[in-house]
Amino acid sequence: MDIILNLLPHIINGLALGLLFALIALGFMLIVGVMELINLAHGSLFALGAYIAMTLIDPNIAGWGSFGVWYMELSLTLRYVIGLALAPAFVAIVGMGLEICMRRTYGKKAEYGLLLTFGAALVIEESIRIIWGSSEQFLPVPEMVSGAFIAGGMIYSNYRFFAAGFGIFMIALVWLFLEKTPYGSIIKAGAHDSEMVRALGVNLTVLRLMVFGLGASLSAVAGVILTPIWGLRPHVGVDVVIPAFLIIVLGGIGSFWGAVVAGILVGLVVGIFGAYASEWSLMSMYILLIIVITFRTRGLFGKKSALEN
Amino acid sequence: MVSKNFTKTTRVLAAGMAFAAITAGSAVAAEPLIIGLTSDASGQYANSGASDRRGMQMAIAEFNAKGGVLGREIKIVHIDTETTPATGSRVAERMISRENVGFMIGAVSSGVANAISQVAQKYGVVYLNTNSSSPTESGKNCHRVKFVWDGNGKNFAQAAVKNAISSYGKDWLLLTNDYVWGHNTSKATRQLAVSHGAKIIDEIMVPQGTRDFSATLLKVQQKNPKVIAAAVGGDDLKALRQQVGQLDMGAKYAWINNQQDWPDVYGLPMKNLFGVFGTTWYYKLDLPGVDDFVKRYQAMYPDTKIRVPGNVFYNGYWATRSLLEAIETAGTTNNHAVIKQLEKLRIPAATRMQHDDAYMDAKTHQMQQTVYLATANTGSNDKDDMFRILSNSSPEKVADMAAQSTCNLESFADTPVVTR
Repeated sequence: MDIILNLLPHIINGLALGLLFALIALGFMLIVGVMELINLAHGSLFALGAYIAMTLIDPNIAGWGSFGVWYMELSLTLRYVIGLALAPAFVAIVGMGLEICMRRTYGKKAEYGLLLTFGAALVIEESIRIIWGSSEQFLPVPEMVSGAFIAGGMIYSNYRFFAAGFGIFMIALVWLFLEKTPYGSIIKAGAHDSEMVRALGVNLTVLRLMVFGLGASLSAVAGVILTPIWGLRPHVGVDVVIPAFLIIVLGGIGSFWGAVVAGILVGLVVGIFGAYASEWSLMSMYILLIIVITFRTRGLFGKKSALEN
Repeated sequence: MVSKNFTKTTRVLAAGMAFAAITAGSAVAAEPLIIGLTSDASGQYANSGASDRRGMQMAIAEFNAKGGVLGREIKIVHIDTETTPATGSRVAERMISRENVGFMIGAVSSGVANAISQVAQKYGVVYLNTNSSSPTESGKNCHRVKFVWDGNGKNFAQAAVKNAISSYGKDWLLLTNDYVWGHNTSKATRQLAVSHGAKIIDEIMVPQGTRDFSATLLKVQQKNPKVIAAAVGGDDLKALRQQVGQLDMGAKYAWINNQQDWPDVYGLPMKNLFGVFGTTWYYKLDLPGVDDFVKRYQAMYPDTKIRVPGNVFYNGYWATRSLLEAIETAGTTNNHAVIKQLEKLRIPAATRMQHDDAYMDAKTHQMQQTVYLATANTGSNDKDDMFRILSNSSPEKVADMAAQSTCNLESFADTPVVTR
């Protein structure tokens, strides 16, 4: 009984962490699934979203005049909502710009895309350094989701549960978009057979542009939600790319539910190892990947991927 | 008719002028002295590395403004050591064999510092470890060419442990960053705490690169210690602070954070700056010269986000300045002569802006200096004034005596001679 009582907080914590991992992987999964492209700039877009949100939530208003005074009189909650809405929109535009640069690499070896997105990641990270500096920054959160609560004698962070809840909301939103809208059907069809989609009269160029924009904006959403927990620094994106890639491989390339389930599994494994064998906590996700890939080469929910061709 | 005397005088003058011209010419054309800056620009200690570098650059700029060292302009080569020991080795090899550097300065990570110093010793190039603070750096990993400028984990533990046991209790939990500095610092803390009657109820390892501390913090709550001694650094510590702040756990336990580097906390909310921690310097110390030092920093770096210098900058500055002064005193860049000067280095408290005179321990090559304990300055309205200094301990009180027995410096005969 004691073991269960001891383990329970770690399972709850692992589930919450898993939802955050799934949130990180969503945008990555979308771009890989539809465009067959590993977007190494995913982490930098994540960081860019967080920095833009920070600027919108807690700006330095020197030189803004009366607008700045008015803006800072808005409640922190309202400024947070503005940041959470506008930062992903801005990053979507940056993502679309990146997709336009990508066009010359389509139909060529996968390395071209990898190199281009890697270069873009470096450019974005250095731009962040130039604009916001390299020191640690802080992304404030509304009072109503800060602080902590006690349950079963343990202290839990309000924000972590808000973030996990927001993760569920975003997962549901993306699922509804993909499953219940005609745009989602086109995206899924594009992922399955892009040439057939083109033959049916869908403008594939616009489709790719929109998917890249959507994937980038999801990276930014994850950035805004995660950085109050992980901290904000120009290279924070580096901490994101590897887990995101691992999760989509574990879940199966292009599988929506694969990414969600894999994210939760990784969260559980990292959380439980963190409690009982902490020196293995980071390594545990790789061990999980090795075990799964050994028995299911295409991941948990994977079907034959276009990347295999 | 021209007298013989006049001719002779003219010849002497001409010879004198020629000599002056030659020597002046040689002064103008004196080869610059190249110093390699081995600070991190990426990875876990990128931010601290930048601060370290700014300190070195200010000292070099001050020397160049007064004509360089030994009449030679000082030039800088910087290569990113990426907070990675293997990169540190490669950078050191390249700096010595291809960039022709005479001296190397800079480190925040103990693993990187150790890697660089092994290469430096092989070639005999003097290397200053500015900011890494594993006790092993001046203990078993000491080298004749290496000088350590920061206080180490043992020094900070000496300053904090005894008081913490009597003030907060005997049940201690160690949080240890899973690499050389974390291991050695926690080991030193454990030995001291146990020797003063504390009980170590658990030690939780924190792998480098950990961003989510939720499982660790849940386990801490399950263990319910009185004191948590954390040896966690860099970006890991930033994430830990953020998450402890979110859980309001800063006040629930007595946190002893071995050392707190200024770049790691600057700009964070005060709530995240919990516990008691060590430092070697603070910009608000009420000592002569401090205000002027801050003004020089602000004049040189008007655009930097860190508006006031911290301990990492301070160590980078003083290591570089002391090296250049040692070269001037030695009158040569010969490494053996410079090492001998550094080994007998003693800097008055008033010059170094600390409470006690600082001196180089010739047996371990570690700078012996005042260690301060600090906590969050919660009452201040000044965003920059984040620390409240609680106490200062003299170098003798916090000395790492174990280093004396574990450090075995190479002899001068085993250290290659280098003059650049």
